[in-house]
Amino acid sequence: METALSYTDPLIIQLAIAVVLLPFAAFLINFLLISKTSKVSGWISSLAILLSFILSAIVFFKVWDKPHDIHVQQVWFAIGNVKVQIGLWLNNLSVLMLLLVPAVALPVHIYSIAYMAGDAKYTRYFTYLSFFCFAMLALVVMDNMLLMYAFWELVGFASYLLIGFWFTRDKAVQANKKAFIMNRIGDIALLVGILMLYAHYHTFDMVKLFAGDNALANAQGVDKAWLTIPGICFLCGAIAKSAQFPLHTWLPDAMEGPTSVSALIHAATMVAAGIFLLGRVYPAFNADVLTVIAVIGCFTAFMAATIALTQNDLKRILAYSTISQLGFMMLAMGVGAYSSALFHLATHAFFKCLLFLSAGVIIHEMQHLKQKHQLNIDPQNILYMGGLRKLMPVTFITCSIAALALIGLPLTSGYLSKDGILIQAFEWAEGKGWLYSIIPIGAMLTSLLTAFYVARLMFKVFFGESRLKEFNPDIVPEAHDGSLLYQIPMMMLAACCLFPLFSFNPFFYEQAWLFKGFIASSYLERMNLYHTVVPVAVNLLIVPVIYLAYATYIKRDAHWFKQQGVLFRFSYNQWYIDSFYNKVIVKLVLLLSNLTYWLDKNVIDGLIGILANIGILLGKIAAWVDEYVIDGILHVITGIVKQGGNFVRGFQTGRVQGYLVTMLLVILVLYVLKTFI
Amino acid sequence: MSILTLLIFSPILFGLVILLLPTEWRNIFKHINLLATLVQLGIAVWLYINFKTGALFAGINHQGQYQFVEKLHWIGLNLGGTNRLQIDYFVGVDGISIMMLLMSSVVMVVAAISSWEINKNHKGYFALFLLLDVAITGVFCSLDFFMFYIFYELMLLPLYFLIGIWGGVRREYAAIKFFLYTLFGSVFMLLVMVGLYFSVRDPQTGNHTFNMICMMNPANYDKGSIFGILSNATLLGYPARVVGFIVLFVAFAIKVPVVPLHTWLPDAHVEAPTPVSIILAGVLLKVGGYGIIRVCFSIFPDIATSGAFWIGLLGVISILYGALNALAQRDLKRLIAYSSVSHMGFVLLGIASQTAEGMSGAMMQMVSHGFLSAMLFYLVGVIYNRVHNRDIYSFRGLGTLMPKYTVFVMVAFFASLGLPGFSAFIAEAFSLIGAFNSQAINGLLPNWMAVCGSVGILLSAAYFLWTLQRMFFGETQLKGGQIWELALTDLGKRELITLVPLALLAFALGVMPSLVFDKVNDSVLALIQFIQLK
Repeated sequence: METALSYTDPLIIQLAIAVVLLPFAAFLINFLLISKTSKVSGWISSLAILLSFILSAIVFFKVWDKPHDIHVQQVWFAIGNVKVQIGLWLNNLSVLMLLLVPAVALPVHIYSIAYMAGDAKYTRYFTYLSFFCFAMLALVVMDNMLLMYAFWELVGFASYLLIGFWFTRDKAVQANKKAFIMNRIGDIALLVGILMLYAHYHTFDMVKLFAGDNALANAQGVDKAWLTIPGICFLCGAIAKSAQFPLHTWLPDAMEGPTSVSALIHAATMVAAGIFLLGRVYPAFNADVLTVIAVIGCFTAFMAATIALTQNDLKRILAYSTISQLGFMMLAMGVGAYSSALFHLATHAFFKCLLFLSAGVIIHEMQHLKQKHQLNIDPQNILYMGGLRKLMPVTFITCSIAALALIGLPLTSGYLSKDGILIQAFEWAEGKGWLYSIIPIGAMLTSLLTAFYVARLMFKVFFGESRLKEFNPDIVPEAHDGSLLYQIPMMMLAACCLFPLFSFNPFFYEQAWLFKGFIASSYLERMNLYHTVVPVAVNLLIVPVIYLAYATYIKRDAHWFKQQGVLFRFSYNQWYIDSFYNKVIVKLVLLLSNLTYWLDKNVIDGLIGILANIGILLGKIAAWVDEYVIDGILHVITGIVKQGGNFVRGFQTGRVQGYLVTMLLVILVLYVLKTFI
Repeated sequence: MSILTLLIFSPILFGLVILLLPTEWRNIFKHINLLATLVQLGIAVWLYINFKTGALFAGINHQGQYQFVEKLHWIGLNLGGTNRLQIDYFVGVDGISIMMLLMSSVVMVVAAISSWEINKNHKGYFALFLLLDVAITGVFCSLDFFMFYIFYELMLLPLYFLIGIWGGVRREYAAIKFFLYTLFGSVFMLLVMVGLYFSVRDPQTGNHTFNMICMMNPANYDKGSIFGILSNATLLGYPARVVGFIVLFVAFAIKVPVVPLHTWLPDAHVEAPTPVSIILAGVLLKVGGYGIIRVCFSIFPDIATSGAFWIGLLGVISILYGALNALAQRDLKRLIAYSSVSHMGFVLLGIASQTAEGMSGAMMQMVSHGFLSAMLFYLVGVIYNRVHNRDIYSFRGLGTLMPKYTVFVMVAFFASLGLPGFSAFIAEAFSLIGAFNSQAINGLLPNWMAVCGSVGILLSAAYFLWTLQRMFFGETQLKGGQIWELALTDLGKRELITLVPLALLAFALGVMPSLVFDKVNDSVLALIQFIQLK
């Protein structure tokens, strides 16, 4: 539905465009003008994202909760009789993302100035980072499925560049290849979904398709069942981007990139694009697809949480926790908790980003210790950490806040968003049969697992004594919080992990402004018991779980969690999913490709070779026939003539007597013949 | 003399100059050659800018709607009675050919620059190069089938020698294979051409004619003639028009190349010198695609519609089969050759869909692949020139050693694998959209074809990224050790001057696809309408 533009709209549109283009300008400047190691690039990119942030805040306040969406478009090109438009579609969802992305990116940029300071490709790093911000911001405001797909791929490309930023490391380039290809699987599904909608509705315009009650997808006479397949296609796209089962294995590997990148792209923003996509095209999903979404989300959340229990690599634990939390958001989308999904997306962006930034500082210090003491350890392995609480107080405090938010304890933002999901999952399952209640119960169980692995991580890293002393008792571990460039962004993010940013009431998620911003939800009232029972139950259960972790890892008097056995290995090896892909699927594709090449060389080209040989053979036969048959006949004829000539030549002796005798003989013969016969 | 005639034949003048100059001056031949291609590019750009768009300039089956037309009587023979043999010199362009002309003249400039590497028998090389240039330009301009055929065959001769003399180790094998393969197709084309000639009369003169545009109008066919639409003649037990279509299609399919008629391509590419590879992939393959549109689809639209399923199927097979084969290669040039097979499959798929989106996508893919394949082969030439090796396993970590080169390789690879922002994305997306739409619009292609085609996009990511990872990333490690490390210098100025415009062109078309779509749109619509009328 086209609504008349009010007089403020052109300004908002220009501002929104500026928000998107500022990082692009920074990208261009850094790419074309700034030398490789110049420190200017960091400031240019940071300035651009700062301005983006300010402008996006203005846009946000002008658009949020306004009665009509802002939608402008312009013809991009015409093909056949169809005009492909390029345009912006600003609604609550997109301005939320438009604000969220620079809000998270700004601290990461500042942090990166310190974090990447010594790198030989400093400028290149910020070039990529700005490019990512541009693509991500453009992705959230596009009104057109084709362009959204384009930027969807471009964020993947930026992620490819940044995962493989240290391209001399073999693992990094294996990881970025894997990330891009696995994302491509989802992209293709997404493309097919777009094609289907285009074939049916002849437009790429998402406003026409999905916005409001007049949307084509909601229109009368459209068979909703027909939308199932495009819905599934969009879902597959989201599964790949948001690292859901079965396409999640790229995300843990993606941790090969710089930690600041993991914080921004692989925790806070890009991986959330899948959830954003689901939100954008929500009307395309019918009940069946939504159930599938819920099941996938729940399963992924649970699976990733179980894997996170046993991992020892700090970033890998966080990566699996990201997968698990994204699973929660998917689940929320699936059970119809639209606003809670987006609410959790926003809160998760802050606390997970903060966790990664803390991890970056910790790994940095561990790397120092490793070099200083010439230890042969992996600086990311939490088994070698411990006791960092006193050495790095700021990191400890900020990290703890983020950890509490991730567990979902009261007073944090995570409590508000996550409990909302759990409650609505229970409400959804009610009256649907016992099979459906697996989903809320699974989600609940996952929350408890989350509490355990987060507590394990915190205890191993910050509490107890440094494990380095086990290597060499003389080591006096030294570690620092790092400069203000590290601390300020982390404190900023820590502030965003607490409840006041989202709600004045720390206990009732229903009153959070962000939650209320999405009217798609019908769960505004605390209408039933779940709203009280679920949060209380979860939090009551979480306390003993954390104590259990404490007993296991600090007091070390609980030994129920065995470091062996089938289940442990199953979890430690990440459910063997990756091994399966490598050993079966990749092998099969390579086998197929070798087979086709064999076919090409031997069958198709072989056939051509046979044809050529037949040609040559025919030629040889022709030559033989020519030589022996045709020429042979000629030879025979000439031979006969020659022999005849030779025979007759014998008579030409030149002796007259001979001629006379011959003549007489002939006459005699004639006479005898005439007379007697 | 019209501008098109100048465009076609100007290289001949330069070629004559080269032939007349003494051999001792061979160092300036390459400059003359470059100048010739630049002049041609200038004319082509002028044509592009002055090309008028609008429904009245759609071309296709309306003689009056072609632009820059020149029509002269060329061969006329009285055959007694009212019969007159009439062959015209007839050139003109519409939306389909204008893009091909522009693209091919850009690619020829690139090829001319990369001819700097030629180091034997300069005079012969450049003369043949310019002759090839004439033939290629001629094919895209000809509207008379006889002329078209002459130019079409004329391309073979220089290419045969260019591969066979200046090529790699197995050059003779590759040259003869290429020559026989393509000749096989075109010989039968000759028969169909003659058949068409005797079926069609020019309504203005009443004579039999080779005029292709007359061949597109069913009213011009004689009653009872072999290819007449209503005459139901048969050849070898099959309807004559079906046989005619298949024969022409096979001839062009060999050029495209369509699996299973593609095996000349990897060999020819691997053995050909870099500039010839560039021309082969950049321009020659498009002659196939162009021929299918201009000749097969326009003269036999009825068969094109009934056979669309099979054409689309061949397209999908090419996409997947070419991509899978590329995945199995370890010679970089062979890999790119197979990737060409895969990418040209999209052209076929788009054309087969007979929708505006698919046709435009196919046109875009031809233009885009022209630039990108030129770039890819040029890039392979860069390392081959330096160390005479192209085995992917011989290199590792080139990114550290040759950073600029790596940037361009990444641009070319990502553009080819369909990264948005580059031309191939638009091209492949719209080819697929067309294929997908086909079921709803004209019911020609089933949906699964588009879905299978999109898997080709996935596979292309796999082989290009694998190559990047294997050759360019990681620690530097070369088969040739220190000597190679010294030989592998980063891109020089001349190389940059070639690559930057190509990268920018691919980028420009990706961001502003209207540069192509605006020019082809009217023709595409006219073609679709024309085909549907059958």
